[in-house]
Amino acid sequence: MTGSDKGGGYTGAETTGFVSPAGDHIEGPIDLSQILDLRRPHRFPVRVLGEALVERGILPGDILITDTAAEPRHGSVAIIMVGGEVLVAQLAFRRGQWWLRPGRRDQPPVPVGEDTQLWAVVAALVRERV
Amino acid sequence: MPATYGLIDGNSFYCSAERVFDPALHRVPVVVLSNNDGCAIARTPEAKALGIRMGDPWHLVRGRAELRPVRWRSSNYALYGDMSRRVYQVLAERVPRVEPYSIDEMFLDLDVPRDLASFCAGLRAAVLRIAKVPTCVGWGPTKTIAKLANGLAKDHAELGGLCDLTDPAERAAWYQRLPVGEVWGIGSRTQEKLARLGVASIADFIDADPRAMRDLLTVVGGRVQAELRGTSCLPLQMMVATRKGLACTRSFGRPVTRWSEMREAVAAYAHRAAEKLRAEELEACHPAVFMHTDPHAKGERYQHLQHAARIEPTGDSRDLIAEAVRMAEGLWRDGLRYAKAGVVLNDLVPAGQQARLFATREPRASARTMAVMDAINRQHGAGTLRPAATGIARSWSTRRAMLSPRYTTHISEIMQATAL
Repeated sequence: MTGSDKGGGYTGAETTGFVSPAGDHIEGPIDLSQILDLRRPHRFPVRVLGEALVERGILPGDILITDTAAEPRHGSVAIIMVGGEVLVAQLAFRRGQWWLRPGRRDQPPVPVGEDTQLWAVVAALVRERV
Repeated sequence: MPATYGLIDGNSFYCSAERVFDPALHRVPVVVLSNNDGCAIARTPEAKALGIRMGDPWHLVRGRAELRPVRWRSSNYALYGDMSRRVYQVLAERVPRVEPYSIDEMFLDLDVPRDLASFCAGLRAAVLRIAKVPTCVGWGPTKTIAKLANGLAKDHAELGGLCDLTDPAERAAWYQRLPVGEVWGIGSRTQEKLARLGVASIADFIDADPRAMRDLLTVVGGRVQAELRGTSCLPLQMMVATRKGLACTRSFGRPVTRWSEMREAVAAYAHRAAEKLRAEELEACHPAVFMHTDPHAKGERYQHLQHAARIEPTGDSRDLIAEAVRMAEGLWRDGLRYAKAGVVLNDLVPAGQQARLFATREPRASARTMAVMDAINRQHGAGTLRPAATGIARSWSTRRAMLSPRYTTHISEIMQATAL
């Protein structure tokens, strides 16, 4: 990391008068891209459109951190490509097959067919403003 | 030295990278165009089947009725570079060593204690699942054989994307059938030279007297022959060789006829070249500028001029812009319609190592200013902070009318998904 990344070059260590007692303990700011594993090849950010998953805690504008290496489970939230659309949906495994379970209870589950691509599993979520 | 080398490459890599994020591109012909939306540089199999060739100029073919289903895309190098990085990482976690040979091809050290056919099938599957790029893998005892195997895996669908040329008998059978021009490093001129000696197939080539081949094709050709015979001469290169020079050149979106536009363009190229220079901690002492008109324009005079200068080593955008603009001013002719210009930096030296006996610049203040500018641009996106000479409106800039979002490198452009 270069000095300028840490904000003006001062990190808490390089004092001019009294030697900083923190000199050997500087750790730098918390790096969210490390916590969210964004430098790994399987992590892709995806933006949410629509309010259908509000009850699941997913709001429009949220940034989903998706994982293309993770195995889907019953109850996972996943990114799905079907019929030329990109969807984020809850997965269910019932009667030997996968289903998409719409957030709104009045809508029936949709079976996952051959033409449906399970693109990634949602692993984490970032909300820029609360 | 590994006993087995592999070569993995992305199928129609640029098109595949576009398809990852845009389901509307699945199962339809996709073509990616070169800088400035010039010509086809990547095609899906569906686009190849429609007769689109590499290098076909977009403005000439786009009107054809049979090409109506084609989805054209401007080249999105921010995206392709990031997808290449992902492919590399998936591989690096699974094999001992990876050499990134080009944006879409990686050589692999395949010294793994496993059955290679199932291992390579697993690699392919992992790259497809995680980085979402379809690939082909070829392998054999040398890099040249691995490259040949990779080409076979690509061209012969029945191989299922995998080709093993480790067995000498199997190799010999392919060598009989394949022209020597299929080999990595044998260009069309070399092929002609060989043809005059009656060498047509790869089998003919490896049977030829090595000394005669070395005389005809120099040590490079001799190496290719040895590699095809199964003797490894080219190790994996883990380090990128230090650059001798770098360039930033672009075709204009439309002909440039005003000096003010040309000055902006040259300043912008000098600035970009200086950024590349600093990213590699280098300085330049031999900048050059060129500009030319369209060689294909009918009824117009073609003119190509260039100018080079020796300067004190610098990596400062402001110094290089000043030098480049000064040189460009000397080349500029009113009344011409310029199609392309560029800034080339030669004789690169490590930054800050040059003795400055009569230095006139202030290297420390310069380095600090440039570091701040580069950091801001890294954080807030390229071009956020730039010298004013590089222009605001940029009327001359490259045409990229069909550019897809930078899905993985820009937070305002990431893929969107509708909640179900």
